[in-house]
Amino acid sequence: MLQLLELRERIKNFYQRYDAYLLPVVKFIFAFIAFQAINKEIGYDERLKSLPIILGISLLSAFTPSAVMVLLAAVISVLHVYFISPILSVMIIVILMILYLLFARYTPKYGYVLLAVPILFLLKIPYIIPILLGLISTPVAMIPTSCGVIIYFLFQIIKSAITMQVNISIEDIIQLYTHVIDSLTGNRQMIMTVVIFSLIIMVTYFIRKMSFDYAFEISILAGGLTGILGFLISYLILNQSKQILSMILGTIVSIALVYIIHFFKLTLDYSGVEYAQFEDDVYYYYVKAVPKVTVTVPQVNVKHINVKSTERREFSDPDVDEAEDYGYDE
Amino acid sequence: MLNFKKIRLMTKLAVYEKKDGKEDIYLSKYYKADYVRLQVLKSIITATIGYGLIIALIVFYRMEYLIKNAVTLDYKLLGTYVLGFYIMTITVFGLGALILYSMKYDASRKKLSRYFRLLKRLEKVYNESSHDS
Repeated sequence: MLQLLELRERIKNFYQRYDAYLLPVVKFIFAFIAFQAINKEIGYDERLKSLPIILGISLLSAFTPSAVMVLLAAVISVLHVYFISPILSVMIIVILMILYLLFARYTPKYGYVLLAVPILFLLKIPYIIPILLGLISTPVAMIPTSCGVIIYFLFQIIKSAITMQVNISIEDIIQLYTHVIDSLTGNRQMIMTVVIFSLIIMVTYFIRKMSFDYAFEISILAGGLTGILGFLISYLILNQSKQILSMILGTIVSIALVYIIHFFKLTLDYSGVEYAQFEDDVYYYYVKAVPKVTVTVPQVNVKHINVKSTERREFSDPDVDEAEDYGYDE
Repeated sequence: MLNFKKIRLMTKLAVYEKKDGKEDIYLSKYYKADYVRLQVLKSIITATIGYGLIIALIVFYRMEYLIKNAVTLDYKLLGTYVLGFYIMTITVFGLGALILYSMKYDASRKKLSRYFRLLKRLEKVYNESSHDS
């Protein structure tokens, strides 16, 4: 256990120090997986599937805000569908616009969730999103999660609709259109998934907020159990008992992944190195501000902190009284 | 000579300005009423567009029926329904935006007051150092 804790400290340190370089790398990997998954699912246009293009857009989304990645993914999905059936791509655009205008625009921070939910659905572990969001955010996250679920089922329906015979005649178009709308509004599995995911977020959030020992760990487990129970009931109602095994395995994997993320607390008390530039009358300053490591496990951390603070003292001005400064750190 | 107290203050200010502060300082240019009104207006406009798109989807879905009964339809009733749901939609979204953005504005004000406190301290440090020299 001690070794594990030491490893955690080391990884946290590494993460805090090289955060500026690590973030683009992580975003690049995420974007690459996302675009590959899109291409594998609905890759109708061969031109968009070539490796240089995927690498290029992944690289682009690595260095831009996460909204750009979501937008690129939407554009590529629409282009793929447009290659086969322009009318379906118009429908996708309209439905995505409705989702954005009415719901997603109120939660700009969670834009990446819209992309992450469908991608993780393809990887069979979508349960990670509601548990994680219940752990690190507020019930507001139900909105983007629900939108993500709807987007996933929309593309599943589009995929099945594309296999239908598509001619240019008006009647065919109307038939195709009614098929998509019917299967979207009458999709009980989608509605149940939205409800269960919202429940998972609520359960995880409220248990985490309670004040007893191990509230975080118990809330992860409770969220996972809520998911298993909810999906078990919904699959039994919908007669889809084939999916039960993969659902339970996926939930267990999700719980494990969330627990690992929680253990390293990469998302919870996240604070990285800051670079700041400013000037006064005499100097230009280029400051690198490194946050002090928070103490969680005394045995491991004691030597760390001593090293840190002696380093700091050497550079401090002995004439300035620093004691009052520390009152300002919230 | 470097004044470390000043540098520490300025670093804190600069880091804040670079991250959360960007939005807070932008918000501080508005009065609360103006900001909230603007956001409510924006929400109502986007909700209107979204509602229009949904109506368009429904109309297209019921196209066959609508064309067949184009003459006998009760347009007055239909119009009342569309208008009624529209008023409900924009009321919900308008009120939601009113609450959401008021809370957001208050939260940013709170953070901003800490920023101004640090600025005042910085000013004091400046005055002290100019006294010395």
